[in-house]
Amino acid sequence: MTPVVEVDGLSKWFGPVVALSEVSFTLERGVTAILGPNGAGKSTLLRVLCGLTAPSRGSVRVLGMTPRRDLALNGRIGIVPQQEALFDSLTARAFVSLAAELEHVAGPGAAAARALETVDLDPGDDRPLRTYSKGMRQRVKVAQALVSDPEVVVLDEPLEGLDPRQRVRMISLFRDLGAAGRTVLVSSHVLDEVERFGSRVLVIAQGRLAAEGDFHAIRELMDDRPHRLRVGATDSRALAADLLAEGIVVGAWVQTPTTVIVDTVDAAAFRRALPRVARDAGVRLTEIVPLDDDLESVFRYLVGRR
Amino acid sequence: MASLFRLIVRTQMTRGRVVALAAVAAIGILIGFAVGRSDIADPARAAYGFVASYGLGLLVPITALVFGSAALGDPAEDATLVYLWLRPVARWKIVVASELAALAVAVPFGVVPTAVAAAATGQGADLVLGATLASLVAVAAYSTLFLGLGLLVRRALAWGLVYVLIWEGFVARSGTAAARLSILVYARSLLAHVAHAAPPRLAAAVPTSVITPLAVAAVALVLTTSALRRVDVK
Repeated sequence: MTPVVEVDGLSKWFGPVVALSEVSFTLERGVTAILGPNGAGKSTLLRVLCGLTAPSRGSVRVLGMTPRRDLALNGRIGIVPQQEALFDSLTARAFVSLAAELEHVAGPGAAAARALETVDLDPGDDRPLRTYSKGMRQRVKVAQALVSDPEVVVLDEPLEGLDPRQRVRMISLFRDLGAAGRTVLVSSHVLDEVERFGSRVLVIAQGRLAAEGDFHAIRELMDDRPHRLRVGATDSRALAADLLAEGIVVGAWVQTPTTVIVDTVDAAAFRRALPRVARDAGVRLTEIVPLDDDLESVFRYLVGRR
Repeated sequence: MASLFRLIVRTQMTRGRVVALAAVAAIGILIGFAVGRSDIADPARAAYGFVASYGLGLLVPITALVFGSAALGDPAEDATLVYLWLRPVARWKIVVASELAALAVAVPFGVVPTAVAAAATGQGADLVLGATLASLVAVAAYSTLFLGLGLLVRRALAWGLVYVLIWEGFVARSGTAAARLSILVYARSLLAHVAHAAPPRLAAAVPTSVITPLAVAAVALVLTTSALRRVDVK
């Protein structure tokens, strides 16, 4: 069966800035999350998939068509862009009705009302969009993307600005769309958020596809990487020597008489062993600070190992 | 296309624009009254000069610039263009709807006050007809030019002002070649012919005065449609 989305050797640059470099993947129906830190190239990738910007090199096919070239494809993709801007003088219903009308949906007013109800907004609300909160605007964007029941739904950071209850609601909605045979592509820079999509994951970092696969495989990959920690102790040199001797760390660098940086491949085992090693060495611990637990360092690691 | 038209009319008519341009139009009408009631040697020539300079030289191009550049420029700038662009709607329909929307507001704010100001001078129907026809032809050309400019260029308003004030105000007066690239020269030529006034220096023939601005408008529409297909959408 032909994949819904085929990306082959995609590169995109803006002047001297390389936003995407040699990205290749295919997508089937269901939910796929694009995970990556801010500035990784997620939004650029989504924009290229929708045809909002042209690839600098490589090819993109969606539903067998070429974005930008095949106008008919526009009617089969729904997008929730990252930016907040809406036609602020319109009501939510007028805005979503306009989307339905431009998508040639029969009964655009009724379709708009249904789409707004799907995202828990009141179709009868006659306030202009400029008065809406960030979370409400985000839901209006989702409603306009879904009003024509598109086969491919592209959502760029769709959970931003939503309260926890609405996040749960939206995640459930995206999963339902995937289960109903839609191809749903959701970008996020929040690892835990992606976990809740329960989906296939593409990890993008520094414009490159750093990893792809089932979320749990990606998670294991992330947990298996070496961890770097700063340990404060009353005698850092003695502690470093004992940690190396016991094989608990794979590297140790004494920074000051009271600070040592260590690398370990098993953070959990290290944390269990450290108090015992320190006690046996007659050293008192003052701090343990992970230096690379942020998502950025995880992405750097994934990029570095490819 | 009707819904696109309505949307664009609505988005480009911000309170600030409406108030500012209504004020400029009102001032023009008041000056027209003043010219009509002033005790000057050649009132017909003064009235023609006023319509040619204030109406055609300022009110019409500025109105067309403000609304023309905003029609696609605003959505391109504030990133709402994606909600129009990513629809199965032919690009030319978006461009034509935008141009019609620009005209729908530029005519009442630019053409109508120019005609009213011409009438207010009390110099007869020919001047009013000339002002109306010349400003209609001019607004069509200006608004399509500035429609494309708004889509393609950041700070289109500033660049448009450079064209209106510097190019048309000074450069186009320097020679025939520069004058041929000035909408204002064609509009003034048409006004002079219909109002039976002395033609301006570097005037174009009447058919040229009508056909050239309309041809400019048609070409600008085609180029803007092509640009909309290729533009990077935020």
